[in-house]
Amino acid sequence: MKEIFSDISALEDVHGVVVTSLEGEILFTEPSLEIDRSLPLFIRGLGTIREADLIFEKSRVYVRRTDTGYLMILLGLFCSGAMLRLHVDMVLPLLKDRGKGKGLRSLFRRNK
Amino acid sequence: MVKKVLIVDDDRDMLVSLKEGLLKYDETFSIVTAEDGLGAVEQLRDSSISLVVTDLKMPRMDGFSLLSHIMEYYPEIPVIIITGYSTMEMERLARNGGAIGYIAKPFMIDDLAKRIITYLRKEADGGTLHSVSSGIFLQLMEMEEKTCTVRLVEKSSGKHGILFFLDGQLLDARCNGLRGEAAAYEIFSWDDVSLNIQNSCVQKERRIHRDLQAILLDAMRLKDELKRMSGKPAPSKISPAPAEEKIEWTNPVERVKQVLKREVGEGYGIEDVYEDNSWEGFVKGVRRLGAAFNAGEFKVGYVDRGESSDFILIPGESVTIVAVTPKCARDRIMEALSD
Repeated sequence: MKEIFSDISALEDVHGVVVTSLEGEILFTEPSLEIDRSLPLFIRGLGTIREADLIFEKSRVYVRRTDTGYLMILLGLFCSGAMLRLHVDMVLPLLKDRGKGKGLRSLFRRNK
Repeated sequence: MVKKVLIVDDDRDMLVSLKEGLLKYDETFSIVTAEDGLGAVEQLRDSSISLVVTDLKMPRMDGFSLLSHIMEYYPEIPVIIITGYSTMEMERLARNGGAIGYIAKPFMIDDLAKRIITYLRKEADGGTLHSVSSGIFLQLMEMEEKTCTVRLVEKSSGKHGILFFLDGQLLDARCNGLRGEAAAYEIFSWDDVSLNIQNSCVQKERRIHRDLQAILLDAMRLKDELKRMSGKPAPSKISPAPAEEKIEWTNPVERVKQVLKREVGEGYGIEDVYEDNSWEGFVKGVRRLGAAFNAGEFKVGYVDRGESSDFILIPGESVTIVAVTPKCARDRIMEALSD
């Protein structure tokens, strides 16, 4: 799974990638991150949201709904939004293909 | 008229080698350069650029954002993408975004030059005229119901302008940082111009709603008035740009509207600005998330719910929402609102 996100991780100012289920269960993180319960709560609160780009004082969080959950990317403030979105567009079909038939969760390393 | 080609790449060695390699074509076009998209935006604003060649991966503002900016503000300028990071998907996105050419690095400089010249020729495929009065010539465009793009240079000052005609109707004008009627007044006051006619008009949005005759008459009247003002200092422009408006910090909605007006301008896909506290729960969740990641204060968020509008959230005592079209200039709007 790590190789799917290698292009995204290589982008300037990308700090991490998190994949969750629709219920907020953490399925994959790169690099390994300590994540508290605020993330599952946040994911469950997303409802019909397909994409969110959240800018904070010191960093930025980009969230994209996938077929089976959410892809969350942690960024610095200087990451190019257009380039990131392009790479995410390219990754989403790969995630879908990897998930076909086997169950997406079986492909991800559990982080806890 | 020697045309200007803007080359944008964060690789300085690449810029230097392209500039040197294209020097032998300097009778046809000259080269100006920028090291990223923001530098290119400044060049586009300050110079008359005929074609842009841009890399995709650049700091501050990448090639896709630049392409989107050009399509929004300078749709008549052709864009060729050069990239060392080429994929089919990237090419598809670049072409869908409006790029007319896509070249993977490495490439032969002469091949790039050939493409540039091919596109530059189209700028004058309807002919070139020298030493004409802009007003008289442009009345002919209307009478003949021409669809064309006319690029003009005033001989005495070297100022450049551009006019867009659709079936003889003047849709838009641009010169000297002005747009629409203000630019048309300026251009129509020029007496001695050289002009290129391109037999197509990519501009679709109508910014000028008066007919050509009325604008021409007003331009002449204003010009005569300026001439009569003997002894008084003449304003530098017939239609001066409005003075920068001071921001008055009234309520959050007004503040956001004024920031958008000042920093972003019109025509960027902004639909409405209003307060909507039904987003408070979501904003609370975002703040908790930010605290968990030690990200600091939540400044601004973009949300797509798959509806006809997307939403930009600005937290505060209440939540201010900017409703935007999904194709809005979101990075530019977000940047303006996060400052």
